[in-house]
Amino acid sequence: MIYLDHAATSFPKSPAVLAAMQRWFADVGVSASRGSGTRCQLAAAETRAARQGLARLLGCPATRIAFVSGATEGLNLALRALLRDGDRVLTTAFEHSSVVRPLRALQRERNLQIEIVPPAADGSLPLAAVRTALQTFRPQLLVFTHASNVTGACFDAAALCSLAREGGATTLLDASQTIGLVECNVGADVVVASTHKALGSPPGLGFVAALTRELTPQKQGGTGHSRALEDHPNTWPEAFEAGTPNTPAIFGLAAAFHPQNHKTAAQRLAASLEPLVSLSERLATMPHVRCLLPNTEQRVPVLSLVHAQYDCAELGAMLAAQDLHVRTGHHCAPWLHAHLGTDTTGTVRISTGTCTTAADIDAVVAFFASL
Amino acid sequence: MERYSRQVRVTGIGEAGQQRLAQSRVLIVGCGALGTHLADALVRAGVGELVLVDRDIVEWSNLQRQVLFSEADAKAGTPKAIAAATRLREANSEVRILPHVADCSAAFLDELPGTLSLVLDGTDNFRTRYLLNDWCGRQRVPWIYGGAVGSEGAAMVMLPGGPCLRCLWPEPPAHTDVGNCETAGILAPTIAAVTAFQVAEALKLLVGHASTRGVFTCDVWRGSYSVLPLAQHPAADCPACSRREFPALHSAPHEAVTLCGRDAVQVDPGSSALDLTALHLRLLPVATDVMRTPHLLRFAADGCRFSVFPGGRALLFGVRDPLRARALYDRWIGGL
Repeated sequence: MIYLDHAATSFPKSPAVLAAMQRWFADVGVSASRGSGTRCQLAAAETRAARQGLARLLGCPATRIAFVSGATEGLNLALRALLRDGDRVLTTAFEHSSVVRPLRALQRERNLQIEIVPPAADGSLPLAAVRTALQTFRPQLLVFTHASNVTGACFDAAALCSLAREGGATTLLDASQTIGLVECNVGADVVVASTHKALGSPPGLGFVAALTRELTPQKQGGTGHSRALEDHPNTWPEAFEAGTPNTPAIFGLAAAFHPQNHKTAAQRLAASLEPLVSLSERLATMPHVRCLLPNTEQRVPVLSLVHAQYDCAELGAMLAAQDLHVRTGHHCAPWLHAHLGTDTTGTVRISTGTCTTAADIDAVVAFFASL
Repeated sequence: MERYSRQVRVTGIGEAGQQRLAQSRVLIVGCGALGTHLADALVRAGVGELVLVDRDIVEWSNLQRQVLFSEADAKAGTPKAIAAATRLREANSEVRILPHVADCSAAFLDELPGTLSLVLDGTDNFRTRYLLNDWCGRQRVPWIYGGAVGSEGAAMVMLPGGPCLRCLWPEPPAHTDVGNCETAGILAPTIAAVTAFQVAEALKLLVGHASTRGVFTCDVWRGSYSVLPLAQHPAADCPACSRREFPALHSAPHEAVTLCGRDAVQVDPGSSALDLTALHLRLLPVATDVMRTPHLLRFAADGCRFSVFPGGRALLFGVRDPLRARALYDRWIGGL
């Protein structure tokens, strides 16, 4: 199989990540704060290392980072904790269903007003429109994705956070597509992401980082701390980690941060973007292929395309028959496709990773050339 | 028992036979032309309980020969099993009628409660027939095969212990080898002839009378009707009868998945040696917008656009319901 769906989850996971998980299953078996003794201390050390690795990426204290099951849980938690009845929320047409759907549910529950900034004609997110909306709509919250999981457009999150701060809005950044690839220390108030994409942990792990805002836990349960208390603790990060943690996945994430395995975001981005740029250049010369390339300064390794003669679903089936694993459809971005002109068919999405080779790209090019 | 008085008078039925009918429990698989004829006759004859299974909906092209359906059913697109049950209850409220809108899979058959007296084949494809053959073989339930295309039909009683369908043909025929009602058409009298044999044999079996052994064949256009004699014993190399191996019980049904955000379903039959060229030739006279590329075959039929890929995987655009998609797949591409 040629795997080109790294925007969903990276694959294969590195041997270091697998080894770390194997070590947990074989030799550790327990979680931090669940008992005492060496194994528990080992678990605590790895959990701390994983948290510290994220803290370095976000420029915040490790204690302000809570592990959750993924970005979906994190975004639900953050939105529910941040939004009050009647609040105004500014967001963008690029958002994933994990923002769109909780927002729509909360809109009904809490009478939210929601304004959606549409993309510019060139596929970028117009800063001027965000600035205007912040001034006229006066939102309490700006929630936005750092990069589009459909087009790969990456937005100037630092500028957006700074605009929001001037406008008095809290910022919630969805960094799922950028953590580990792009600078995420951008001045956001709250950052949420999954760690199984560029950071290479196994699925089932993500985080909420509350840099400058207090959040209220949205679920209660056992934390391993303050066991005698009936009331849920309110201290970071335990307050947000009720229930048995996904420690094997946390071991995997810690391995990705280990000095001997560690790559910088810039290194990962360069390695994964290079094959994608080569692919989009070669596809651009093909008569029936239309790549939906955004005109943004920064890009993440995601490419969407449509074909004049084949439906995206047909292309998906044909690519699958050749063992080329890509994605077709709407990619959980319900608001964007109306703007891209791809509402009825969706797109074919190819997303590369650090292990994508030139031969992988040749296979994709050969497929489209054969049509 | 005024209702059954004429039937009771027939030698071989009698009061005792009628009572046995009333205690019987029959499954009819498929509520198309064969299935509706079979169901109508058995409900009027007074079987105790009738289980119906069909995954499809009533369409205009069904009304020419599928006797239990009305124009209102076609307009509403009522599931065939439901429409049939409604009409059957009007015909005989004494019979317990249990309709299922479902795929007839091994799992479906396994989950049916109770014991069946008989299974009747009203299907339009060999994949399901081999499933019935193997399931009935394992459960030791008699079943009566029936098939009809154009003016030709065939039927046969399969008793526990054989001979069975696999004794005649160990494996299902390739779907490009057999015509179907979409490509070859179907005459209503062909259905009547085949189901006349099936119903008569069903009644005989249910009252405890010996069955006709052999293969009934007919060509109603030519006016030829005959029963081809058949060996009385199962084939020595029949996997089902001699080794009690029932391969169809282990083959997974087609996987059908509604595509996210699309009015489309992908049907994947798993491994299959579908010959796109043969399918192309078969569809040319009966489907519209037929187009072949090196990668796929496209056509339109029954208000649905199909894209079929080598190996048998297909996309059906204009459909959302996976059951409906599987029915359309079996109808136009093949039941294998």
